[in-house]
Amino acid sequence: MAFRKEIVGSLVFILFGVGFLLYGLNYPLDQWANPGPGVFPLIVGVTLVILAAWQFLHAFWKPKPSAGREKGEAVKSVREYLQRNKGETKVLIMIAVFVTYLLMVQWVGFFISNFLFVVISSRLMKEKDWRGPIALSAGISLFCYVMFEIWLKLSFPRGILF
Amino acid sequence: MDPVTDYGVLSVLLITIQPVNFLACFIGAVVGTLVGVLPGLGPAAAMALVIPLTLKLGPTAGLIMLAGIYYGSMYGGSTTSILVNVPGEPASVVTTIDGYAMARKGRAGAALAIAAIGSFVAGTFSVIALQFFAPLLARSALAFGPAEYFCLTVLGVVMLSNLTGKSRVKSLILMMVGLMLSTVGIDPVGGMERFSFGFESAQGGLSFIALTTGLFGVAEVLSVMTGKEAPIEVLPVKFRELYPNREEMKRSVAPMVRGSVLGFLIGLLPGPASTMAAFASYGLERRVSKHREEFGKGAIEGVAGPESANNAAAGGAMIPLLSLGLPFTPTTAVLLGGMLLHGITPGPFLLRDRPDVFWGVIGSFYLGNMMLLVLNLPLVGIFAKIVRVAPRYLMPTVLVLCVIGAYGDNSSLFDVWVMLGAGVVGYIMRKYDYEPAPLVVGLVLGPVMERSLRQTLIISRGNISGLWESPICMVMWLIILLSAVLPVLVPYVKAKIRVRLNK
Repeated sequence: MAFRKEIVGSLVFILFGVGFLLYGLNYPLDQWANPGPGVFPLIVGVTLVILAAWQFLHAFWKPKPSAGREKGEAVKSVREYLQRNKGETKVLIMIAVFVTYLLMVQWVGFFISNFLFVVISSRLMKEKDWRGPIALSAGISLFCYVMFEIWLKLSFPRGILF
Repeated sequence: MDPVTDYGVLSVLLITIQPVNFLACFIGAVVGTLVGVLPGLGPAAAMALVIPLTLKLGPTAGLIMLAGIYYGSMYGGSTTSILVNVPGEPASVVTTIDGYAMARKGRAGAALAIAAIGSFVAGTFSVIALQFFAPLLARSALAFGPAEYFCLTVLGVVMLSNLTGKSRVKSLILMMVGLMLSTVGIDPVGGMERFSFGFESAQGGLSFIALTTGLFGVAEVLSVMTGKEAPIEVLPVKFRELYPNREEMKRSVAPMVRGSVLGFLIGLLPGPASTMAAFASYGLERRVSKHREEFGKGAIEGVAGPESANNAAAGGAMIPLLSLGLPFTPTTAVLLGGMLLHGITPGPFLLRDRPDVFWGVIGSFYLGNMMLLVLNLPLVGIFAKIVRVAPRYLMPTVLVLCVIGAYGDNSSLFDVWVMLGAGVVGYIMRKYDYEPAPLVVGLVLGPVMERSLRQTLIISRGNISGLWESPICMVMWLIILLSAVLPVLVPYVKAKIRVRLNK
């Protein structure tokens, strides 16, 4: 598992570095006496690719667990995966709720969206009751309104409702 | 010009005790203690969340509040370590060993009092040292040109590769990603727009607050969602038990002094200073103690030493930040981000240009340490109970504060999307054993590094030797070379010697 993590992690960074370098080619390098805006991204991008490649090779050449152990670990990891998956699903739902919340802010307004967001996220965090999240959400919304909107004069996006 | 004689020590203290600064210091200390008490929410995330609020207060009060959160969290962290066996922040991990063992024996009050007194002694010691060393270093740094600054940032990157205490290559990779992200927006020398992909909001660069709240705050909430919520047992502590007996006091004095000096010195080095200092102090105390057999079973030295050391390290880490403008820890990187948003550029010129901010922040350390001692001793029971606040209430609150923090910086929803993206990436990074702290340091060092590199090349008319010609640069390159090579070479040589000896 750790071996796969190392490989996947370093590959992602290699791809990111290569993408960054390719896009960075749009910026001029100019001369050494007057280096252009492309120089620093080029140096940093190349360094990242070298480091990530080193990490990849290091993970690749590292002694891997024996086949027997790996089989045992695979069974264990499936069980672990199922166990862990409960939490992962929650995280995915939370991200979806967050995205919906941000889209709603522009249409419904900050305070209404915020109220719903706190209630739903609190419920997602193993809260079985409705009263607690609603009270918490009302409290946070009121606090935000008084503290940020009235005192700090921060203007939040307003929608069709509030 | 000597700011102390020009402005006087008394006027420095007067800056700190102005009502708004006093209040900022108090709020910072309380918030810091709460952050230290609550596991999960670290000082870096809390400071990033509070930065937009501090903008209203002005630079001196704002930075005093941020600094209060920084050292307040060191105090708070020990409370839960001792009473609940849950360290509020990594620097307090070592306190759980003997602190919790003491609490089990009914000496929780004494352990808490010694931790608070040790933190106060060390905090005060480090402030005095900071007051003397920071101006000295700042004055010598006035001779620094772009080449020296470039070397210093490279030195920071190489030495900070040990930031997480795990893989150096992984830390370096994330620092490079941070340096890359710092190039988004207007180029600092020529003014060309880079990597903004047509987004108007990205032209000024990616919001520092959005990235830090995402990487530390949102990612933490997502990680908590996957974990199990276990009931927490808080050991009781009574106010009258808060007095250590004479024997305990006597045994704590020397560890406090040793912890203060050791912690301060470690604070000057790049790396997770407070955590490293606490572990180093624990090791030292166990070696020199006359009561070695008690370690792990409730030795007071195991609380006094590490708790003093982690606070002294927090003070020590302020020196490179205030006098060179370079953050050597993630928390000071966030503090630097806050300073820049307030229009304050830390570094050798800070002392000359804004002595009110420089000395105001240092003065607030004295005041803050006293406040924390007064606050922490009688209110320790209440702070310990806060740890029971269920994540189902705490985490949605943190999320909303993250949203407001990211939005409030530029009143832009684009920054909130950036924060969410950073949060998701931060969560995945943790799953793949990549700690986000080096990325933040790279993000802060990036503009300084790029500007100084390009300025050096312009001054030397394209002659690359301009980067190492001056004696200061030569010394720094030598240190860089040694810091890069030694960690690889030493284990190799050790292994070779071991093989030969075995033969």
